[in-house]
Amino acid sequence: MLPKFSYVRPDKLDKAVKYLERDHAAIHAGGTDLLGCLREGIMDSSLLVSISGLKDLVGIKETGNGGLRIGSLTTITEVAENRMIAKKYPGLARGAAEVASPQLRNQGTLGGNLCQKPRCWYYRGEFHCLRKGGERCFAVKGENQFHAIFGHDNICVITHPSDTAPVLVALKAKVNVVGPEDKRTIAIEDLHVSPTDNVQAETVLKQGEIITHIILPAPSRNLYTTYRKIRARRAWDFALAGVALALVMDGERVVRASVVLSGAAPVPWRSTESEQVLTGKILSPETIRKAARAAVADAEPCRAINTRWICSGACSKKNCIKPEAPDRYEQGIGQRRSCFCRIGRQAAAPGALRLCTTR
Amino acid sequence: MTSNDEIYYREGLPVPETPAKDSSPEFWKQTNIIGKPLPRVDAYERVSGTAVYPSDILLPNMIYGAILRCPHPHARVKRIDIAEAEKMNGVRAIITGESRAAKNVKWKYRKQQVPLFDPHCRFEGEVVAAVAADSWYQARDATRAIKVDYEILEFVADYEHALDASAAKVQEQGNLLNEEKYSRGDTEKGFAEADVVLEQTYHTPCELHTPMELHGCVANWERDRLTVWESSQGVYGVQSRIAEALDLPLSKVRAAGHYMGGGFGSKLWPGKYTVLCALLAKKTARPVKMLLSREETCLCVGNRPANTMRIKAGTKKDGTLTALEFDCSGPSGAFPAGGAQLVDWLVRDLYQCANVRTRSRDVLINAGPARPFRAPGHPQGAWALEQMIDSLAEKINMDPVQLRLKNIPLKSQAREGNPPYTTTGLRQCLERGAEEFGWQTAAERIRKHNGQDSHLKRGIGVGACLWIAGGGGPPSTVIIKLYKDGSMNLNMGASDVGTGTKTIMAQVAAEELGVNPSVIQIEHADTATTQYATPSGGSKTVPTEAPAVRNAAISLKRELISMAAEDLQIDKNELVFIGDEIVWTKNNETRIKITEVSTLQKRGEVIGVGYRGPNPADKVVNPFAAHFCELEVNTLTGEILILRFLGVHDSGRVMNRLTFDNQVYGGIVMGIGFGLTEFRQLDERQTGKLCNKNWHDYKLPTALDVPLAMTSLPVELDDPESNNTGAKGLGEPVTIPTAAAIANALNMATGVRFTRAPVLPMEVIRQLSKKNEG
Repeated sequence: MLPKFSYVRPDKLDKAVKYLERDHAAIHAGGTDLLGCLREGIMDSSLLVSISGLKDLVGIKETGNGGLRIGSLTTITEVAENRMIAKKYPGLARGAAEVASPQLRNQGTLGGNLCQKPRCWYYRGEFHCLRKGGERCFAVKGENQFHAIFGHDNICVITHPSDTAPVLVALKAKVNVVGPEDKRTIAIEDLHVSPTDNVQAETVLKQGEIITHIILPAPSRNLYTTYRKIRARRAWDFALAGVALALVMDGERVVRASVVLSGAAPVPWRSTESEQVLTGKILSPETIRKAARAAVADAEPCRAINTRWICSGACSKKNCIKPEAPDRYEQGIGQRRSCFCRIGRQAAAPGALRLCTTR
Repeated sequence: MTSNDEIYYREGLPVPETPAKDSSPEFWKQTNIIGKPLPRVDAYERVSGTAVYPSDILLPNMIYGAILRCPHPHARVKRIDIAEAEKMNGVRAIITGESRAAKNVKWKYRKQQVPLFDPHCRFEGEVVAAVAADSWYQARDATRAIKVDYEILEFVADYEHALDASAAKVQEQGNLLNEEKYSRGDTEKGFAEADVVLEQTYHTPCELHTPMELHGCVANWERDRLTVWESSQGVYGVQSRIAEALDLPLSKVRAAGHYMGGGFGSKLWPGKYTVLCALLAKKTARPVKMLLSREETCLCVGNRPANTMRIKAGTKKDGTLTALEFDCSGPSGAFPAGGAQLVDWLVRDLYQCANVRTRSRDVLINAGPARPFRAPGHPQGAWALEQMIDSLAEKINMDPVQLRLKNIPLKSQAREGNPPYTTTGLRQCLERGAEEFGWQTAAERIRKHNGQDSHLKRGIGVGACLWIAGGGGPPSTVIIKLYKDGSMNLNMGASDVGTGTKTIMAQVAAEELGVNPSVIQIEHADTATTQYATPSGGSKTVPTEAPAVRNAAISLKRELISMAAEDLQIDKNELVFIGDEIVWTKNNETRIKITEVSTLQKRGEVIGVGYRGPNPADKVVNPFAAHFCELEVNTLTGEILILRFLGVHDSGRVMNRLTFDNQVYGGIVMGIGFGLTEFRQLDERQTGKLCNKNWHDYKLPTALDVPLAMTSLPVELDDPESNNTGAKGLGEPVTIPTAAAIANALNMATGVRFTRAPVLPMEVIRQLSKKNEG
């Protein structure tokens, strides 16, 4: 049920920023996520600042250098259907087209899509979880079949819900941000926050800051982009797994590769392992298979219940939690990633019980 | 008599002869209106929004109710503090277990009687307090301002561990609610005779009904008489339950619900919310509207229980089934609700098999009680049995359709005395279905396709079923009232749950009376103004009500003939009813328009009353079906694309081809959800709370998950013994073999037996990885 709130719709950016500086203020752009968050009581917002009156934030323009400047209020539908985007960055159009359902794409905005709250059912439900100021992540030991397999360190295992963010990261896009103090530009790769850094924030945006535009660099010659999304059902669903690809080719050879996964980690997850496999190679089915395998080789699904992680105790990496602190390890608050040695990883099938066998 | 009366009447429709009193009407050999693809009689009302659903009702001075529910799966309410909530704006009444209004009010979960407010809350969502306020928001706000101290108790949410010694007890007597055993023949001997014996465990998920219209009602008291408008599958069920809970005479409770937005079994009876709504209305002396939230409907108005099924089956090389053993368990929830009920029925009765043994265990867990869900038990049983039949076929190198054809029963083996079925369309469903589907050629085409080096693999699959009910039966009383201008009211108590009942009843009356269905106005689903009917469930509404409608039409004809006999001064046995006129058989010059019959003109109306007669003695009326499916699996991503589906149904006479096909398509869609996307997820290992109580996390199939190529093929067998219309039930068999057919197709595509539903992409990948690892 929606809580009580005030609603303002300023017509100037600076006014909007002023309102947003207040405590418990929240941006209302398309509202498709905001209303759900309010209804579910996961945001404590008493002032909604609609930015729909800020006309400068709508629309797609070509920049001087041949890139694009997309207003943050541009709808997902517009991003999916815009001709310039389709021509320069078909992967972005594809990503946008994979978002939710037609109704939600008509209403949702690109800026909003980048700033979505996670879809973890514990976070959205009546569970006082770590991200909401509670003491633990329920998903680590709970029902986590839709949760992260990378970058969670067993702290908070949400996946980032956006389909456009991975593509924008792969395209090295940036956002222009206006805030109470100043303007700044943030690479989208740096926009999202890992739970290790701050478990209660999804973006680095500060109170009062608004994304005004998304800036795409001019496409390199022979740039190929795409986005592929797998979900539990074919519409109106978030990614179980997805991949945004931006490859610069020289004939059949990959010159530069960006591989960014969706539905995999708390932030759009760049797979450098996969990129390394691709770079410099002829793009053959074999290379693609290798790149795909590399993308998940280091995956760290949450433990199946009753699975005990056993460390032989001689792991050389710092932060490894040695057997003298098994409790802490079992609770999943350790830096698990650092505890894996290559041997353990290679020996195990994805999702199976894995032993850290470092000697 | 009006000048445009021609539009009502005959239009050249032949009228069936009026049978003499105490004789049964003849089986319709040919029909003029029945079976035609007649659009729904209430299509305009539904589409335009002029239809008034219980959710739409707005009464003068109406206020709104909301319920505070226990947030824990197992807890004891120690203290409730309503002081703050009471003071809030707009709040008119709050009732708790302490309130005088609720003191002695009882509720029944099936047969178990409990206090309306039980401080011992055995599932998340049990009621703790109820509020009425001027607006829905105020009511909800007030529920949140009520302070409750709970003693949190140990819970059990995983039904597979509910019988462990260490498991928390849901009810004092323990968690084993019921164990049912069945056997015939000697399964040991049967397995010894078999050439192949296979054993496998299958799992199906807990499914939520999530009907479009939320559960809820509006309650209003006129002095001591209560009216409840409830979104319901049966108003008489609402009336009796509410009268019982509030200790009122039946005559003082009127339940109505002319339209309803889906129930699928979860609205066969009212809920505690209905009683609370009535109590709040009484206390405030205002009409109160109480609609549950989507989250509440996911928690506490029913589900299809999850099931674990172990099946062992033996067959000879020639396809003779020698033995079947089946062991299943499932959770009722926190109260008796049939957790494993009917899950074994297909094993008992679908195929010819002399040696069968089953055991069903119904256990308690700390979760919302189940309610019947479209074909209770059957889709689960089909998931296990129909996959097992395919596995056997593979082992003995026999086509799965042929193996099924080899074991068609003509008698119900599981019923006392082995009564025969009036008709067994199973053979025709399989044979005609295989032909229509192109089973043989598709199999060859797919084998070729799958031989190619591609990650896209295809498969076809078949599943068959019967449905334990679907014959209908007494009681039912229907009244048809002919007004003096020739227009009619058809008055019946049954609800149209969206299946097209009203349309079909209009067709039945029109067929018998030889009139255009548009002259018939239907009054239904209101205990104050219509006749007693059982709730619309069990695929029995058409076979129950249609024969009573036909009898009412016949009774009306007889009445009219008697009246006309007086006007014409001719013996009534020499008169026939031909629609708009009554004619003397000896000289058809002597005739009278029915609107000119003087008694009708004097009285203003004439009434025909019809009762549902008994079912045939010693015979069973069951519908049968077979589903065929083709799909494609992406073996790299685990995505499943259903390419086409064929539903072949023997449900006796097709009463209306449009509503018939609607049921088939809807059942297939629901079956796709059951097999591929839907599951209720409890946080079993930590809090016991429900994780997915919204339409994002509880994944119903979308339009893109359903094939465009869905075909409905009726197998229309004459079934004069079933009832006087020859119709059998349809609404449930349409979703029984669907998921199993998908699983069988998946097996052909991947070589993997998917034993655990729903088969989400990760499950496909998990199983394929397992297979590749050996």
